[in-house]
Amino acid sequence: MVYALIAFGYNLTFSTSKTINFSLGNILMLGGVVGFSLYVDKNTGALLGIPFIVPIIGVLIAGVIVGAGVHKFAVQPSLKLKSEYTWVLATLAVGIILKNGVEQLWSTGDFKFPSPLGDNPIRFDNGVGIYPQEILIAIVSILIVVGVEVFKRKTIFGKAIQAVSEDRDTASLMGIPQQFVIRLSFMLSATIATVAGLLVAPLTFVSASMGTALGIKAYAVAIIGGLESGSGLLVGGLILGICEGLTAGYISSGYKEMPGFILLIIVILIKPNGLFGKKSIKKV
Amino acid sequence: MLKIENLAVNYAGIKALRGVSLHVEPGELVALIGSNGSGKTSLLRAISGIVEPSEGNILIDGKRINDIPSHKRVALGLAHCPEARHVFAQQTIEDNLHLGAYLRYGKESKHQIQETLEEVYTIFPKLRERSKQQAGTLSGGEQQMLAIGRALMLKPKILMLDEPSMGLAPVIINEVFNVIEKLRQSKTTTILLVEQLAFMALKVADRGYVLEQGLVRIEGKAADLKGNPVVQEAYLGLAKK
Repeated sequence: MVYALIAFGYNLTFSTSKTINFSLGNILMLGGVVGFSLYVDKNTGALLGIPFIVPIIGVLIAGVIVGAGVHKFAVQPSLKLKSEYTWVLATLAVGIILKNGVEQLWSTGDFKFPSPLGDNPIRFDNGVGIYPQEILIAIVSILIVVGVEVFKRKTIFGKAIQAVSEDRDTASLMGIPQQFVIRLSFMLSATIATVAGLLVAPLTFVSASMGTALGIKAYAVAIIGGLESGSGLLVGGLILGICEGLTAGYISSGYKEMPGFILLIIVILIKPNGLFGKKSIKKV
Repeated sequence: MLKIENLAVNYAGIKALRGVSLHVEPGELVALIGSNGSGKTSLLRAISGIVEPSEGNILIDGKRINDIPSHKRVALGLAHCPEARHVFAQQTIEDNLHLGAYLRYGKESKHQIQETLEEVYTIFPKLRERSKQQAGTLSGGEQQMLAIGRALMLKPKILMLDEPSMGLAPVIINEVFNVIEKLRQSKTTTILLVEQLAFMALKVADRGYVLEQGLVRIEGKAADLKGNPVVQEAYLGLAKK
């Protein structure tokens, strides 16, 4: 589900600006680190005794700031250049800067993040277990995706975002400030990433490298589900998660990372728009 | 109301406009005619700020607007109904119309916007019938109606229509021009109409300008232009006798 969330973040900026923020994986990591620092004492691993709402607010603020920063300092200047794909490198660079920055200033180690819901899995009769945190991730992910989609369909500001993604010049003719809408989409997607970081932290470990593989696999999900389709991303995320689980369970956990990329290649070969990619309707 | 002084526009070295001056007075319908590539669309795009002029001034109510970004010019009451319609194909007709009133949200009550929506639906009853349909599923003529309706949702002081006849069947063109005629008679908005169909445009206009290779070739009252032999020969398809 976290894959789906990050993929959804890719989808948001891609729809408004036709660019993808490739630093999203490391922004997720930043969310994990910020949340951890506000909640747990790094040296002892004990809780700081701060209510969990503080790290939540912390990662929200971090997401907004980083998102705006990525757009202002990496994407916007790249788009002004003549060469077409500078933004790919620029956002990748932001990701590397974030990762190395955290390694330098914070730590290179792995830290355990105790889940506020408890670390004991809920066991079913047949021995299958699920962590409460995993249920929380699923619920929050669906709420975020549904919430953003409803916002885009029902409010005038959401419609303006869609207008910018469809036709930027015409959106300007309606008086819609396109640069602002694009920056907002970056802020929103980065915030989703930092929230996702806080969500997965109790399941993985908190470390400077926690976001790297996640970011790439989420990109695979985005391609599998269709970059332009919100619901496709949720399904794509589920497909990848299930494939990884099955591979780890039945073959070997060493091959866990493989199915995502095999799927990616198959989808690109057979259906380049993604499983749920929209065909564009256009009349001239 | 709208005044253009010596406006020039370059696209990568190609001169689309080479010093055009014109003015539009309140309540007027001014037609801008000329063949393909004469600079009509470039002029409108410069007025609404999508392209940047290399020279000259654009004034609204005596105020120079050259440096105002395009989305803020809309707030001055400038609605531009673009060439080839450009409706938001993936959104519903009603959403398209709401987007036309984007700048009025927050400043005016929902009720006032709803009122304008009703007015637009009265002018274009077909849009009401299909209000929940995706705009991309409409026919060309209906999309043109929607694009005009969307521009009217702003309650514009100046309405710029770019080639409303483009790609439409003759019957539909008549329908569109009937609406333009009605808008003129109601005097609710000033209109700058760009059109290749010179005859249709001059029939509804008060005054007209003929653009040729980026320059104003002839200007005058619409009725005079219709009688002008040069215009007749070049644009109305009437041979010299």
